[in-house]
Amino acid sequence: MTIENKKGWISWFNPFKYGLDRWMYALHRLTGIVLGIYLILHIFETANILRGPVTWNSIMVSLDWPFGVHIGPIILSLVFLAAVYHGLNGLRLTIVENGLLLPRPYRPEYPYKAKSIRGLNLVLKIILGIVMVVIGVIGVLYIFTGVLI
Amino acid sequence: METILKGFGEVVKTVTFRVRRYDPEKDKSPGYKEYKVPVQKGMTVLDGILYIKENLDHSLSARYSCRMGICGSCGMIINGRERLACQTQILELNKDLIKVDPMGNYALIKDLVPDLEKLFKNHRAVKPYIIREEEKADAEYLQKPEQREKFAMFTECILCGLCVSACPTNGADELYLGPQALAQAFRYIADNRDLGFNERLNVLDSKHGVWRCHFSGSCSDVCPKGVDPALAIQYLKGLLTANVFVKHQQEGAAKGEPRKSVLETL
Amino acid sequence: MRESKLMFLQYLTGLLILIFGTFHFLLLSYLAPTTNKVLYLYLGNTHQLIGGTLYYSTVKEIYTTLLWGAMFEAFLTVLVYHAFNGFRVILSEQFQGPRAEKIITYTMLVIALIIFIYGSRTIVVLLTGGG
Repeated sequence: MTIENKKGWISWFNPFKYGLDRWMYALHRLTGIVLGIYLILHIFETANILRGPVTWNSIMVSLDWPFGVHIGPIILSLVFLAAVYHGLNGLRLTIVENGLLLPRPYRPEYPYKAKSIRGLNLVLKIILGIVMVVIGVIGVLYIFTGVLI
Repeated sequence: METILKGFGEVVKTVTFRVRRYDPEKDKSPGYKEYKVPVQKGMTVLDGILYIKENLDHSLSARYSCRMGICGSCGMIINGRERLACQTQILELNKDLIKVDPMGNYALIKDLVPDLEKLFKNHRAVKPYIIREEEKADAEYLQKPEQREKFAMFTECILCGLCVSACPTNGADELYLGPQALAQAFRYIADNRDLGFNERLNVLDSKHGVWRCHFSGSCSDVCPKGVDPALAIQYLKGLLTANVFVKHQQEGAAKGEPRKSVLETL
Repeated sequence: MRESKLMFLQYLTGLLILIFGTFHFLLLSYLAPTTNKVLYLYLGNTHQLIGGTLYYSTVKEIYTTLLWGAMFEAFLTVLVYHAFNGFRVILSEQFQGPRAEKIITYTMLVIALIIFIYGSRTIVVLLTGGG
């Protein structure tokens, strides 16, 4: 009698023991879910503009100081970084998952290291990393201090 | 200590093999058993499992055949990662505890033996053969070397099933075709002798077909023959996206000279 | 056949979100119609908001401009499609079978429409002078 041996639904969030791409996929999915939930909450939050200036301004202040602690900028920065990662990685996936900038078919040679996750794909990932760091620094600096670069 | 494998020299160290055991007639659910295995230089994990089977526990079951990485039988999860047991050197793992599990995402028959029916069923579902308008051909279909190079690397698949075990989508989605079937679908669509793109389209473009791949690259990462199924799947996605706008036309190879069979000339 | 069309739209809306999203962040910082380009401008050390890019009058000014209002509407459309199609993909990987497919598709469609209508109400009411 055979039994089930599925790795299960959590397997998308098990990026250990595989390469960089698996980590990027797990992070892409995580940021996607976080941003999706944030979208729903944000639509309800911004609808408060119709309740007039006093309500709006007090809601804005309470989101900056939830429970009296100044963690508003931290939450905003996390959402901002999630959006930047998801967007840039999504751009890389849009390019690569439609057959562009992929290596041409080759004959595998020992030690059989796959070229689709190296090569130009690796260059795109490095560019993604650099752009994300630059935009992330500019954005988080602005959120915390209001200083524009 | 006596020599386990002749010609391999002295025992370098002793490691512990923690092997997943499951006997369908005795156990309710799988558990782990530990065995102490003396390691000589050059011993593979398959050698270790056979040592256990010969000397410590005759009831251990595993699949193996060629012991040289070409039959695709001995796929297992060794220390958390999918590998062929005959191609994994124990000393290269650099650990004193070797955890051996059967491949995930397949049904389990016994111990380390998975039921590969899912792999073969998905492979059959993409019609892995040349499809032409005629049933029997009386001459060969012509193919130039550069036309073969477009898909030659994907013909090296040994159907070991490691990619399906590694794929995160396969972990959650029962109906997903899997990287092996999708790469073979591309191998046939890209073959200039084939004319079966439209026949395979429904299966590939379905809710559990090519679009449930999210390029995590784990399949290409673990493939022991370097087949790079992720590359085939991304090529296939490019073909399917282009097909939304301009219907994909396959080349369809010309036929050579019709030949008489020897029997007819007698 | 339909799945490749849905996924093509997923990639397309993703690209559009990148473009519109950049504008959204720019409108909160560089392009905001205030002199003091900070998110929250408080009165001294209090928690009283008197200016900044998240202040009522700043936000209202942006939303009542036709160009930005229309852009936010387009932004909402592509966002709702991309997010709920994404949720549908994640959920249909967890639950298979024809019944599960139907439940997931219709639930995501209904929630997507609710979010879209509720968000559009904010934008349209502000653009037509209400609030």
